[in-house]
Amino acid sequence: MSLVGTNVEMVGGRAKVSGAVSYVADMEFPGQLYAKALRSPYPHARLLRIDASKAAALPGVRAVVTRNDLAGLNPYFGTGVEDQPVLVIDKVRCVGDIVAAVAADSKEIAEEAITLIEADYEELPAATDLLEAAKPGAPIVQEQHIDKRAGGNIHGVYRASSGDIEQGLKESDDIIENIYKIPPVQHGHIEPHVVTALWEPSGKLVVHTPSQTPSPLQEQIAKVFKMPLNRVRVIVPFIGGGYGGKNHARIEPVVALLARKARRPVQWILSRDEVFLTGRRFGAVVKIKTGFKRDGRLWARQVEAWYDMGAYALSGPANTKNAAIIAGGPYNIPHRDYTTYAVYTNLPPAGPYRGVGASHVCWAYESDIDDIARRCNLDPLEVRLKNLLRENDRFITGEAMISVGVSECVKQVAKSINWQTGAEQSLRSDAKATEQSLRSDAIVRGKGLAVAIKSTSTPSTSAASVRLNADGSAILLTSTSDMGQGAQTSLAQIVADELALPFERVTVTFPDSDVTPYDKSTSSSRATFHMGKAAQLACDKIREQLFQAGAKALEARVEDLELRDSRLQVKGVPEKNLTYPQLFKAIYGEASGSLFGSHTLRTEGGVDAITGQGKGSSFWFYSAAGAEVEVDTETGKVRVLQVASAVDVGKAVHPLQCGLQNEGSALAGLGSALFEEMLYDNGQPINSSFLDYLLPSMLDHPGEFKSLLVETPHPDGPFGAKGMGEAALPPMAPAIGNAIANALNGVRVRDLPVMPHKIVTALNGCKERR
Amino acid sequence: MKLAITTTINGRREEITVNPHQTLLEFLRDDLKLKGAVEGCSVGVCGSCTVLIDGKPVSSCLTLAANIEGKSVTTIEGLSQNGELDPVQQAFLKYQAFQCGFCTTGMIMAVKGLLNAHPHPNEAETRDYLSGNLCRCGTYKEVLAAVKELSGS
Repeated sequence: MSLVGTNVEMVGGRAKVSGAVSYVADMEFPGQLYAKALRSPYPHARLLRIDASKAAALPGVRAVVTRNDLAGLNPYFGTGVEDQPVLVIDKVRCVGDIVAAVAADSKEIAEEAITLIEADYEELPAATDLLEAAKPGAPIVQEQHIDKRAGGNIHGVYRASSGDIEQGLKESDDIIENIYKIPPVQHGHIEPHVVTALWEPSGKLVVHTPSQTPSPLQEQIAKVFKMPLNRVRVIVPFIGGGYGGKNHARIEPVVALLARKARRPVQWILSRDEVFLTGRRFGAVVKIKTGFKRDGRLWARQVEAWYDMGAYALSGPANTKNAAIIAGGPYNIPHRDYTTYAVYTNLPPAGPYRGVGASHVCWAYESDIDDIARRCNLDPLEVRLKNLLRENDRFITGEAMISVGVSECVKQVAKSINWQTGAEQSLRSDAKATEQSLRSDAIVRGKGLAVAIKSTSTPSTSAASVRLNADGSAILLTSTSDMGQGAQTSLAQIVADELALPFERVTVTFPDSDVTPYDKSTSSSRATFHMGKAAQLACDKIREQLFQAGAKALEARVEDLELRDSRLQVKGVPEKNLTYPQLFKAIYGEASGSLFGSHTLRTEGGVDAITGQGKGSSFWFYSAAGAEVEVDTETGKVRVLQVASAVDVGKAVHPLQCGLQNEGSALAGLGSALFEEMLYDNGQPINSSFLDYLLPSMLDHPGEFKSLLVETPHPDGPFGAKGMGEAALPPMAPAIGNAIANALNGVRVRDLPVMPHKIVTALNGCKERR
Repeated sequence: MKLAITTTINGRREEITVNPHQTLLEFLRDDLKLKGAVEGCSVGVCGSCTVLIDGKPVSSCLTLAANIEGKSVTTIEGLSQNGELDPVQQAFLKYQAFQCGFCTTGMIMAVKGLLNAHPHPNEAETRDYLSGNLCRCGTYKEVLAAVKELSGS
């Protein structure tokens, strides 16, 4: 029986409902100390003097580290760009930069010690506004890492184009041009960043951390401490939510440094306000200009987008580069010219957040599609379907697109929210408010749609190793992290099917770099596709050994054999079979031993930064969202009545978990549409708590919430599966934005989030113009 | 200075000493090593540290340990009896009303509190009652389904 495609009980589910999961913060080690940091109060300043002697003298303090403790190390680390110091060296680049850190017997002592550290700064002008930071003459955040030809704080410029943009705009019947703003938002993982580091007497460093990127993290730490990889052990248990916020090295290097100096295990759990200083979504500004034909055909599109990376690049350059390819959406457009800029600012570092890079441009290109439909007096659904990519269409990268389920996604979404087709119906909203209200005249309703495209990290590497035991049970050794998406469950389903084992007979390891092989990351929705495929190919290598041994023992040809129900048998002659113990006996002479199969999957591809040509993604993922809203035209309040979210998953390995990922992503998209926004005042964060920064609660969750899974198989994915965890987030904000604009007969807010006061202002602006 | 108090934790009467400034969450996690309640926001808005005091849900990050004198505290560890999951835990498992699981113990305790006080809540009441338990994985629909079954409606 095939397990792939069924809803087996989630691995770890019982532990999760019992409170028996050990997250990193739950683990204690003998002699463990507690860390705390002194952080920069300024967005940009020279660190003149630092004196930690009083802190070091406080009873109970076991180690204090400052820039004076970096001798002998590679003091800068980073994912692509090594621009982040373990501790501030010459200057602070954002509020929250780590200037010093303490390890003490208790949290209270560590906190007290921090207050005893003396630091003198010379404040510098700060680049805290994205567009200003990108201009020549702006204060420079990272002198060593800017593209001097581009000017300002621009680290990299990325382009993709096709056709002739000038000609295309000339040939267009009409042109619209708009600017969209997308603010930073929080990942909102309820588990804060937390790290425990300890040095074994042998000199080996052990780091327990909820990391989505255990292998690259291990490399980064090894490089900082100038150690071989086998001396750095990174262990990742269940993660209490990641969403991109736990990619890359963050506080691991400084905790390891403290542990080395203290010669004791050190744990650091970030407070919530520190989490706000540690990661966020890029803010962005998107300028978009589209020429189109009267019949709704998109003819020419020009996009310029600026991405605010904050003080440190992390994956910003790669994410910004990927954004250049998808800046105009999943559409066929004859003439395209897209440019994106990765910009440093004196804000706390940004990084990947669910839907990275894609959400920003999607807000712009999908809002514009509805405006174009309105100009042409056409149904926005029809305009989308007329222009969307189809199977084998050439994308802007020059590659032929396969497994393109985007039209199906938007059709299903439209059906789900009872989209009224035709311009007459879809552009004019005259539905009445649902709730009895004395002010019901002020309340209007509307519906909106949006689609999205996103790439996965390409090229990239995932290695898997499967160990089969003689009793017919198997373990998958993998560095894929389980952060709630259910990776251990779906990977076990794949291995169980490949080896014809019951689900209970397959387990999946947690990442542990002493045991599990290299993996690029559990991010960009890549784990099922890449690790699933690697596991499948690793199983193939075990199968080969079993079939060879079985053919000999059963005196049959290899091609006449099949693995079924934990047995190798002759096809059509099930009584001629060998159980797993018998197979091991045939191979090793006794029913003991281990059979290994390993595979390293390396995907090909990548695009040229100047031309945008190449293979942009090992698989592309597509999604669509639909929403119906009620808008109070007097107060600007928006109520989301229903949403639908469709994702093309290729093949749903675990349909229930796919549905949960879809809903979670879509709900986060709803939050970013309507209220989520990290605020800064001259570089000072001003809403760094869940009191001031709202996450969607059960009251924000729409009453009607449809999760739809489209299955357009991908030839390279395991069982046809593609990634899907992030897919639902990008189109949700524009779907809601389009629904609001639909309710308001085209009046539109282009700055996220669409807060009530912006709606009122936009409505007032329209009245004034009349 | 430590305070000696008498309390009941997961059905067992305990004589304990606590620091006056210690929160209930710190006491449960650090002193009793009950790690099921977790810290998410430390300001009482995320709900992941929810435990029951005399059957009512509280944010243990905002409650002083000293305040449990003479009261009965129930944590997630106290729900299952003889290895049998509590009906709320079973319903969460059945509907897979969680993903990463970090908010789950608090969510389950809040549902316990809800059903203790209101055995048959409707959906609107459930949403309102649980709006102080945040789940960034967004698994609200499944929690609602679990509560619906538990409330017999």
